[in-house]
Amino acid sequence: MRRVYGVVLLLAFVIGSALTVIYVKHESRVLFSELRNVQKKQDREIIEWGRLQLQNSTLAAHSNVESHARKTLMMKLPETIQLVWLP
Amino acid sequence: MSETNNQSVFFGGRHYFVLFVLLCLMTGLVGRALYLQIVEKEFLASQGGQRQIRTIETPAYRGAILDRYGTPLAISTPVDSVWVNPTEILQNLPALKKVTKQLSMNYSETVDTLKRKSNKEFVYLKRQIEPELASLVSDNVDGVYIQREYHRYYPAGEVVAHIVGFTDIDDNGIEGLEKVYDNWLKAEPGARRVIRNRKGAVIEEINQVKAAQSGKDIYSSIDMRLQYIAYRSLARAIKYHAAKSGSAVLLDARTGEVLAMVNQPSYNPNQGKQQTSGNRRNRALTDVFEPGSSIKPFTFAAAIDRGLYDQKSIIDTSPGWFTVSGHTIKDHRNYGPLDLAGILRKSSNVGASRIALSMKDEELWKSFSDYGFGQSPGVIFPGESSGYFRHFSDWQKLDHAIMGYGYGVSVSITQLARAYAMIANQGQHVDVSLIRKEPAKEVKNQVERHVMSAKTANMVLEMMEEVVGPKGTAQLAAIPGYRIGGKTGTTKKASVGGYDEDNYFSVFAGVAPISDPRLVMAVIVDEPTQNGYYGGNVAAPVFQEVMSNALRILNVTPDDIPSLRAQIADTEKGA
Repeated sequence: MRRVYGVVLLLAFVIGSALTVIYVKHESRVLFSELRNVQKKQDREIIEWGRLQLQNSTLAAHSNVESHARKTLMMKLPETIQLVWLP
Repeated sequence: MSETNNQSVFFGGRHYFVLFVLLCLMTGLVGRALYLQIVEKEFLASQGGQRQIRTIETPAYRGAILDRYGTPLAISTPVDSVWVNPTEILQNLPALKKVTKQLSMNYSETVDTLKRKSNKEFVYLKRQIEPELASLVSDNVDGVYIQREYHRYYPAGEVVAHIVGFTDIDDNGIEGLEKVYDNWLKAEPGARRVIRNRKGAVIEEINQVKAAQSGKDIYSSIDMRLQYIAYRSLARAIKYHAAKSGSAVLLDARTGEVLAMVNQPSYNPNQGKQQTSGNRRNRALTDVFEPGSSIKPFTFAAAIDRGLYDQKSIIDTSPGWFTVSGHTIKDHRNYGPLDLAGILRKSSNVGASRIALSMKDEELWKSFSDYGFGQSPGVIFPGESSGYFRHFSDWQKLDHAIMGYGYGVSVSITQLARAYAMIANQGQHVDVSLIRKEPAKEVKNQVERHVMSAKTANMVLEMMEEVVGPKGTAQLAAIPGYRIGGKTGTTKKASVGGYDEDNYFSVFAGVAPISDPRLVMAVIVDEPTQNGYYGGNVAAPVFQEVMSNALRILNVTPDDIPSLRAQIADTEKGA
């Protein structure tokens, strides 16, 4: 009789572990697809970052800044005589 | 009854027969299953794998080249190329029509092209477009595919083109830093094995065959703010003087880092392949010239360091000329007796030759070699020149004499700047570098390399200050509020059989500020043909414009406030 109980117990373990395998496999696929999505997002962000960097360096190009400062903002370097000495 | 018995026996036989047949079938099935599972397992698994498992490439980026503060000079950004399978897409013309419209292409032309290439399976529709547009185009259209590629952008364009260089279509560096540090910048795409489902979507990763290795970034020593100013200033001078070409180098006097290095003519590296080699050459490192008078401070230093002269020594340069081996060395006019500072200020060739001849040829050769003439400046750059400096055993007496004022020796403008940096740095050489140095590491690795005494270096510095002073040849190099020192050079260009009478190199090299040198700059303009040709008129103003901006931008404290005050007071009085 005890032997039968033992077999039943082992059988339960086998079925339980089989179900766990199925569950874990499923879980890993779900997580993997999530990972893929995140990686795709990362890829998009990298593209965006490169685009923004290029945009930044185009807009902040020194020639741009200089002509903007001189023409639009009417800025100029002070003459020597306009300098004020702070002690 | 017996009939019933007979029947039951009959059915019993059938029963066993059916049982036997079923058993046979069962054995067959189990046997087949065992066979497949055990004998054919490997073959089947590999076949199944071939249908589901794919090796896909993991993209990796080539490293960026940045200026010393992180402004991008060269970066790779992903782009997509759209390609089609002509056989597939030609069966779906409405879709093709939509796609060509999105890509703003001519529909009927595209159809013609595709029909001509219909025996191929892969035809690019449009290369290197923005990824967003590409994914919009290929969404839900069978037969239209995208391929990831990388495009190298050079946002600073021609301003820094000679230093950064460019890459070819396969992302190999073929000029400039892109070439020198190719292995460092280079990306190694990785590979992964994955399982894909029926629709081709990746559902599981099995393992990583090779890790993706993105390229590493490089911080160059360039300061883009100064680079831009230097570029603009040099370009303007080249145009104003209708010159052939020109270069300028700005060094940090303490570390030897190149803060700006510009050349004219330049090119746009975003279209690098179409350029002529003349435009592509980094003249500041590859081209050499005879430095002329700009070498005089070193002639003086060699003599002073040997104790032959000091500040008070007087040399008589009258009558303004003298003869060596039948060749006349002459000044513009008779300057009479001059001290060393006077010789430098007037740029007297007679005085400089006399000083050169006061040393043995071996001594002059040794000193000039120590100062870096004929030695590689050590930048590590394609085509970098070490200049041209003959061994003293090949010298005639005339060579020895004209060496004193910079003929018979050739240098690149970077070598000249390095030699001036050595004087600015108390007689100690610095390593010229296009790569940003780590301050902490530099202190640890500092090797004492005095090639002249600090006393000599300072004496020469003070003499150079007079060149920029009110009586000197380089008054246009003066910057209010700062003590500036430097030396002009105007050399006739060597040509076949002698020297050209009307083709000149105009040179200026200088140091600022004198009381605690921070920056060294050397400028050369090749063949100025309009508005003057003297180094003091052509090259010195470029120095002045760039250096005054650099001192301001780098927050260098003015070391000559009294003169600035006096100037302000004068102007107020006048007004």
